[in-house]
Amino acid sequence: MLLAKTLTSSTFKLSLIAIGTFGMIVTAIFSYVYQSTSSYVRSQSDRAIITEYSSLQGVYEHKGRDGLVALIQQRIADKGFANTLVILVDTSSTYLGGNLKAWPPTVTLASGSTEFRALELLPNTTHHPLLRAMVETFPNGDRLLVGRDISDLDNFTDQIKIAVISGVALIFVLAAVVSILVTRRTVGRIESINATSRAIMLSDLNERIPLRGTNDEWDRVAENLNLMLDRIETLMGEIKQVSDNVAHDLRTPLTRMRGRLERAYHSQRVGEEDQSLIGDTIADLDSVLRMFSSLTRISQVETEARRVGFRTVDLVEIADEVVELYDAAAEQDGALLSVVGSREVLVSGDRDLIFDAIANLVDNAIKHGRAGGQVVVTAEYIDGGPVISIADNGPGIPVNQYANIFKRFYRLEHSRFTPGNGLGLSLVAAVAHLHGARIEVLDNSPGLKLRLWFQAHRRSSRLRPSRLAHPEGQDGPDTPDQDPK
Amino acid sequence: MTGGHRRILVVEDDPETAGQIVESLSISGYQVDLATSGHEALNRGVASDYAVITMDRLLPDIDGIGVMRQLREVGVAAPVLIISALGEVDDRVRGLRAGGDDYLVKPFSFVELLARVEALGRRSDTIVKETVLRVGDLAIDLVSRTASRCGKDIALFPREFQLLEYLVRNEGRVVSRAMLLQHVWDLHFDPSTNIIDVYVGRVRRKVDGQQAYPLIHTVRGIGYCLRAPS
Repeated sequence: MLLAKTLTSSTFKLSLIAIGTFGMIVTAIFSYVYQSTSSYVRSQSDRAIITEYSSLQGVYEHKGRDGLVALIQQRIADKGFANTLVILVDTSSTYLGGNLKAWPPTVTLASGSTEFRALELLPNTTHHPLLRAMVETFPNGDRLLVGRDISDLDNFTDQIKIAVISGVALIFVLAAVVSILVTRRTVGRIESINATSRAIMLSDLNERIPLRGTNDEWDRVAENLNLMLDRIETLMGEIKQVSDNVAHDLRTPLTRMRGRLERAYHSQRVGEEDQSLIGDTIADLDSVLRMFSSLTRISQVETEARRVGFRTVDLVEIADEVVELYDAAAEQDGALLSVVGSREVLVSGDRDLIFDAIANLVDNAIKHGRAGGQVVVTAEYIDGGPVISIADNGPGIPVNQYANIFKRFYRLEHSRFTPGNGLGLSLVAAVAHLHGARIEVLDNSPGLKLRLWFQAHRRSSRLRPSRLAHPEGQDGPDTPDQDPK
Repeated sequence: MTGGHRRILVVEDDPETAGQIVESLSISGYQVDLATSGHEALNRGVASDYAVITMDRLLPDIDGIGVMRQLREVGVAAPVLIISALGEVDDRVRGLRAGGDDYLVKPFSFVELLARVEALGRRSDTIVKETVLRVGDLAIDLVSRTASRCGKDIALFPREFQLLEYLVRNEGRVVSRAMLLQHVWDLHFDPSTNIIDVYVGRVRRKVDGQQAYPLIHTVRGIGYCLRAPS
């Protein structure tokens, strides 16, 4: 099955194409080498032949047949002449002189160059060397042949032929083996990813793609897919957690309401008692509705559609307004609430949402900080980036809880019975995400410090002053002109 | 008040909600007409002079905002209270920009509805031109932004003054917490805490502390009302 997958895989097809192309290139290179080498060898021997031939011809012209025969004899005796072959015959092809035993029968042309096999014409040889020669017929019918043994070229050609054939064959075999191995490996890795995917689809998100520890691109793909699975698992977990919490937090007030109404239904109408019962029910209903609005509000913020309404806002100004709103609450708790930051700290954002986020953080800091403690809101530029921090000097939270506090409905054990629904920081996280801001949780030792690192604001957009309250409420909040549809 | 200024047009297509709104407004002494569709609302709105029109945002035929626009185009100036099941702020703001004067998100309490209608209805009365407003022995100077009781100055922060001014301008009417947030702080969401109560509490201590009688009264389950003893 794996072999079938290997042969049909796109990797294997690609390697076949690569092998074919590579083979053709190798063949072309070998033929080029062959061509250029053989033509070089031929031109070299031609040059030597021409030199020798010219000198012999000159002697023939000046000293006649006998002079040439004498010179040929003299030359043959010379050791350095061994490579050169020469023969002079008369019109009836009778041997006159030279180191070839007879005129080669295959050479019939009157003059010019030729190549032939020397048969048994050579002295002291057993093989059939390839000879290259020039032939000339003199006016009296005598024929002169001057040649050289180019068997070396012959051998070279054979070797190149063997090299080409065996080389190409070897390359094909090797490439085929390698490509099958590579393809098998690729198919194997993909198959393990596929198997994991199928397992996930069939059962649950616990499965992970195994890593080979080779730290190659396959491991990285697997790692990323595993990270994605981790994220999905976390999100699924959160959704389940949220649904469970919604179910729980809704059931509690709904059960109370149902109980009250049932009791009222079965009992006699008593004016005073009915009123307090109905009042309590409405209060419970309101808290249910508030939870719903908080949830839908977070969802809305998370859809990011609100980025359209972003304006230039001043964090210092918003912080001032929040601190002013919560001043009375802090005073009631005996806490000291203050804001630090005099010049403007500009960000691009939604004023209401940023206000809400800061208000939530300040509210938490007052509620969960030390009674009679200090809450400081600081708006400043850190490394050129706008940052707002909210710090208290209360008991703080354990470091291992830092990541949990932004989860919906998450409540620390000791705050289980203080008012709130565990959605405040989720909203803060959603608002921060919408604004591309990073949240940092810090130990204020003692206490907790939350920092929102906003993105640096582009100065190009004109600063719009934040809206002031309308005491008469006669004007709607101003918004830029936009078509509602 | 003239008869026209106690007359209200309720535009609502859901029969039960419509019945409840009409009933609660009638009990408070308003003369109420009901329109259950956009076309009916247009016809009635043009035909009679209403103090306030409450307009459901989602109507079967024409969108509530569309009805309001068309009414404005033919010169109907009655303030409109948009009642919307769409919770998004942008929608509310759009509703306001299209010419309505206030909005309310479903579900709402009838006390809240009544408070909004009262506040809107007052706006179609003559606008007060005076620079000093008085309720009992309280006087607030809109120019110098100062308040005093029996001639004795009360030290208020600017926002506290704004809050007091809003209460004074709505003297005798119930003002909800959401209305305060909207008109004093320009905030269009519910902070889900008792922050407004705490804030009003502080203003109340400054205004009513050691005085002959209290002016700021808590209205259970909804908000506040500023009034002098009759």
